[in-house]
Amino acid sequence: MFEKIFDNLKDGLIVFDKENKVSLINKSAKEILGVKEKILGKSIEEFSNFPKIQNLFFLLGKEIKEVFRKEIELGEGLVFEVTSIPIFEEGKKIASVVVLHDITREKTIERLKSEFVSVSAHQLRTPLASIKWSLETLLKGGKLNEYQQTIVKKAFSSAERMLTIVNDLLNVVKIEEGRYVCRKTPINFEDLVKSKIKFFEEKIKEKQIQFEFRVLPKKLPKVKVDPEKIGLVIENLLDNAIRYNLIGGTITISLDLKDNEIEFSIKDSGIGIPENEKSNIFQKFFRASNAIKKEPEGSGLGLFVAKNIVEAHGGKIWFESEEGKGTTFYFTIPIK
Amino acid sequence: MKKKVLIIEDEKDLRFFIAKALKEEGIEVIEAFDGEEGIEKAKKEKPDLILLDLLLPGISGYEVLTRIKKDPELETIPVLILSNLGQREEVEKGLKLGAIDYLIKANFTLKEIVERIKKILTAPNKY
Repeated sequence: MFEKIFDNLKDGLIVFDKENKVSLINKSAKEILGVKEKILGKSIEEFSNFPKIQNLFFLLGKEIKEVFRKEIELGEGLVFEVTSIPIFEEGKKIASVVVLHDITREKTIERLKSEFVSVSAHQLRTPLASIKWSLETLLKGGKLNEYQQTIVKKAFSSAERMLTIVNDLLNVVKIEEGRYVCRKTPINFEDLVKSKIKFFEEKIKEKQIQFEFRVLPKKLPKVKVDPEKIGLVIENLLDNAIRYNLIGGTITISLDLKDNEIEFSIKDSGIGIPENEKSNIFQKFFRASNAIKKEPEGSGLGLFVAKNIVEAHGGKIWFESEEGKGTTFYFTIPIK
Repeated sequence: MKKKVLIIEDEKDLRFFIAKALKEEGIEVIEAFDGEEGIEKAKKEKPDLILLDLLLPGISGYEVLTRIKKDPELETIPVLILSNLGQREEVEKGLKLGAIDYLIKANFTLKEIVERIKKILTAPNKY
């Protein structure tokens, strides 16, 4: 009975013994990998000239590493999620169970969704440009009274916000499709930060924020980054620090050099992140409840995008925060 | 002498706003709705700059750019791409085909676009 259940499961199952040789393999797994009975009692390394097994071997290694839901391609256009669980007895590994779960359909839906978002976002840009330019032309015409000007200016900044959301969505799609490639060139990190600060000068002034930029007395070595992408990370963090700050608050940006990496930090005296929402802060579309209250508009994508960019550079991003007191965001970029 | 700019853009409203903003700066504007009309007008009018959209009915903006750069009569006219496509590959393709710069429409104000155009018109070689 057990054998029948094992054989008839839709997921591919392979059990390896303590010598990492195949001791059981079900029908689905054989079909997925395109192998026959003779794989029993052998290691997958011996079969690594089979193209599909090669991919699996690449993931699991000789020793059948523990793996949790890793996506690999097994055959043309077929995507599987692989999980490998080691089984221990008295502290010794006695077997590994490998599950191959077909997620091709989910991947297709994901791709269609990404395409849909991408096409709609592009389509939105043209009317948005038209709205922006209409309002700009009205304002420039000089025929509006003060009251009308205030209203048109509000409409203009709403159009700008909407555009930011559209651009964020396009970035998210690119991340999801794995097309968010980084093109790294060696740059002076301090200069990049300075240019971004300059970009926000006016907003900082508007909110009467006391701003400080701390750098080390010695020169930082050049780092290899994608300046456009890392620039976006800094923009997103700085924008948050201003947006969720109080009038007359403080912001401090510091750069530090720590064993082979540059650490960027931005400390604000803003509303902070509620304790119970901290774990969700980097999820896409998530916005903290107090942030929504303070600024109803926002896409919840900025930090998601930032995290992906930093990680694509081999760095880390994290924060410390206390609700009502402020937040400090950190990220690192390896030098070599 | 009055500078002349050719706008190749299928969206009527967008064309209207750019044309208006340029005329206010004393620049002469010629408008084209699609690529074929654009190339034809470029040959006839010899503008000082071409503002080119990429997604056009009929031949694409890339094709227009390629033909302009292959035409000895037109190749020296600076082409500024003004599109809504903003993927890096698209930008790079445009620049590789010989465009002088690449702007994403919605990300810029008219003022910024006009300033960019004026800058190119005064010193196309230095730009």
